[in-house]
Amino acid sequence: MLGLFKALGTTLSVIVRKPVTLQYPAVHKELPHRTRGFPVLLWNFEVVEPFCTGCRVCARYCPSECISVTMKDNPLYAEGKSKRRKIVDRFYLDYGRCMRCNICVEVCNFDAIVLNNSWSGHEVSRYDRRDLVNDLDDLLAESKGGGLTNPFREPLGMAHSGWSPKPRGEKAEAE
Amino acid sequence: MIADNPWIDATVRTLLVVLLVILVVLILIWLERKVAGRIQMRLGPMVTGPYGIIQSAADAIKLLTKEDLRPATADRWVFELAPFVAFVPSLLALIALPFTAHLFVRNLELGLFYIVAVSGLSTVGLLMAGWGSANKYALLGAVRGAAQLISYEIPLVLAILAVAMVSGSLNLVEIVNEQGRVPYIVWQPLGFAIFIIATLAELRRNPFDIPAAESEIIGGPFIEYSGIRWSMFFFAEYINVFVLSVLGSLVFLGGWNWPLGNEVGWPLQVVLILLKTSAMLLLFMWLRSTLPRLRIDQLMSFCWQVLLPFAFVAIIVNGLVLVYEWPDVVLGLLSGVAALVAGALVYHSSHRTVPSQPWSLVPAKGID
Amino acid sequence: MAIEERELETIDINVNVGPQHPATHGVFRMILRVDGELVVDLEPVIGYLHRGAEKLSENCDYRQAIAFQDRTEYLAQFNAELCYVIAVEKLMGLEVPERAEYIRVILTELNRIASHLMFMGAFSADLGVFGTLFMYAFRERERMLDLFEEISGDRMMYSYFRVGGLAWDVPEDFVERTRWMVKEARKGIADIDGLLTENEVFLARTRGIGIMTAEQAIDWGFSGPMLRASGVRHDLRRAEPYSIYDRLEFDIPIGHRGDVYDRYMVRLEEMRQSARIVEQCLDQMPKDGPIVAPDLKRVLRPPAGEVYMRAENPRGEYGIYLVSKGADKPYRLKIRSPSFCHLAALRDMTIGHYLADAVLILGSVDIVLCEVDR
Repeated sequence: MLGLFKALGTTLSVIVRKPVTLQYPAVHKELPHRTRGFPVLLWNFEVVEPFCTGCRVCARYCPSECISVTMKDNPLYAEGKSKRRKIVDRFYLDYGRCMRCNICVEVCNFDAIVLNNSWSGHEVSRYDRRDLVNDLDDLLAESKGGGLTNPFREPLGMAHSGWSPKPRGEKAEAE
Repeated sequence: MIADNPWIDATVRTLLVVLLVILVVLILIWLERKVAGRIQMRLGPMVTGPYGIIQSAADAIKLLTKEDLRPATADRWVFELAPFVAFVPSLLALIALPFTAHLFVRNLELGLFYIVAVSGLSTVGLLMAGWGSANKYALLGAVRGAAQLISYEIPLVLAILAVAMVSGSLNLVEIVNEQGRVPYIVWQPLGFAIFIIATLAELRRNPFDIPAAESEIIGGPFIEYSGIRWSMFFFAEYINVFVLSVLGSLVFLGGWNWPLGNEVGWPLQVVLILLKTSAMLLLFMWLRSTLPRLRIDQLMSFCWQVLLPFAFVAIIVNGLVLVYEWPDVVLGLLSGVAALVAGALVYHSSHRTVPSQPWSLVPAKGID
Repeated sequence: MAIEERELETIDINVNVGPQHPATHGVFRMILRVDGELVVDLEPVIGYLHRGAEKLSENCDYRQAIAFQDRTEYLAQFNAELCYVIAVEKLMGLEVPERAEYIRVILTELNRIASHLMFMGAFSADLGVFGTLFMYAFRERERMLDLFEEISGDRMMYSYFRVGGLAWDVPEDFVERTRWMVKEARKGIADIDGLLTENEVFLARTRGIGIMTAEQAIDWGFSGPMLRASGVRHDLRRAEPYSIYDRLEFDIPIGHRGDVYDRYMVRLEEMRQSARIVEQCLDQMPKDGPIVAPDLKRVLRPPAGEVYMRAENPRGEYGIYLVSKGADKPYRLKIRSPSFCHLAALRDMTIGHYLADAVLILGSVDIVLCEVDR
């Protein structure tokens, strides 16, 4: 009998605790800084173009093979406004296949892709699976619109060589 | 007597009681979900209406609009009549249930006996559902359910009979009137304990819900029912919960009589009896969310080897006290002692197989 | 008048506890033959979740294959990742820096607690506790998943360990957060203990069910908590210490009878011991330092060879057999999953018990379908 009363006592002591429910979608929990949403491309605001040059490293290393990229000659380079000779022409990323493993972010040579750590990176629901394939404009929309306030860009790529991406702007000026 | 005509009087009162009880059942379903939620550290329904009070109505509407399925190999008439056979006896029990000294449909001289007898009819509905579903899970569930319900009727009836012996009548209004000074729970703790356990088994609630064990035979006899038919079983279960809770508060907790007496007006008496019924309901919900379920053979051996002998003990004790006209205190003491003995028996039989330390630790610095 | 006595003829019925069932912990099928309520025969059917993870790993290089390990053992992901990563490091002869080792072990043990909490929840749901214990266990587990999200970015599929160390360093408040987490986990374990351990109904349901003696357990190839509940003193963290387990002090709970109750108690106590390990690691961990082995190439090409690495997962002995031919992708990656070996013994454990016990015994084996089927 005593065990039963102990169990009942445990249950009774729980009733007075505050429930742990968060009523989504009225209330959103605070996402940690490193949370991995779906990938988005970054927009370079100084030179008005994406960082991505279409080098296809991310497509080669993606385990799910969800990225396809093509590159073209950069018209802004011909005009002298940008240092990138080539720029991305088309970029398709299938959110339905992506498993958010972060490998594309680690291998990117130009810090052009990042995982969206805001709620818009998590609330990606569509009625049709084909609508999950995002093209270049969809992927740039988040960064252009200013939604990516604090992407997670801690030392990446360290895991493979101690190599780290060139700090943007500083090294270029030092050279 | 409404309109001085017994037929109109009976019809109006019955309709009123049935409608009120259906409303109560909707509230009960909501309450169960909220209480279970709080015990589980969560909120329960919150979205439909403020604090989710319209949730039961929303569920009822959803169930009513569902397609009425019937398996092709099912025995048609048995399958389709089973919900009615389970549902109607619960409503029949409401006819003899008094809420105050004057608020009832009919106050039968054999009221107590009638309620228990009629509640037993729903077992047939369960068996019909299990057989008619042409499904092995349903059959297993129905057979388990039949064994459980029939077995636990006996201690339930004996516990209630013990109380009837003390009060000297089977008329529910008289039983409540006899409890003016002290409710029967004080004189009959053993009877109350047996009543609670047997009620849980009759209602097929945890820890006795093996006929409809969710995690093994997923729904038991009700597995093939959907829509209105399933909701009839569900309603029948909750009406039974309500009826037996009211019965418990009438017979053991003093009904509308204790502690305020018979002279206060009927609104206060109704409030009192609803409070006591709510206490029993909350007890049942608390037990449901806490205890694991018993296996069918453990359930049966508990009934026949523990509950039944102690129910007989209760009757014998009552008989001795009444025949030799010992004071009531003796009755309470003997009954209490018997309840403690029953508890100790259960404790020892289940802890007998547990060694003092069920596991041993290989210490951190030991060899391996 | 003579009354003829005749034996009542009964038929055994085949009950299909099918792939879609609330109690089978995944898409697992048991075909039971029951005589009334007594189980006479049991046939487990697996393969509903086979996705070819081992073959897919052959097309991935060593960093991409870490994600597959997560998805194979989806309740103890850090344990599986650790086993795989140490296997590749053995093949390459890498030395992992201390700080990375400590963080790995901390996360692995926290994941062990989380996995055992999931066991408590699912097991109590099988028992029939309406959902109460499930919610208590999951409240603690949710806290842990939030901590893991703060560190690695994802709640369940971490891909955080890398060959040679970690992907990136832990956040600054890691030590305080983890200490708080361990305290909360202890409270949660006390809740579960209070609700179940001395509960008479629980004792009646689980004592003497599904007994496996020590000899039988060794014969069937049990490992992990199943083996220890049967009384065999074997824990891979002690027998073949990997990573930094030889510097840590922890006890190993051993059961006496090998029934369902002992398995539950062994797992409950293991949670407490894991909490102890985490606290020791937090005290011993170097405050800063590199988190990845130095001089790693960008593309890993282990020398040709083979290695078998086994780790103590919450379910048992998780093994990775890796064959490399010098390329950047493994030639053969075989996963030895503990649940697969335990399921082979399910028939012997269940015959002679009741139908209600069959579900409990399956729950006590604590299977993860993804590693059974890979």
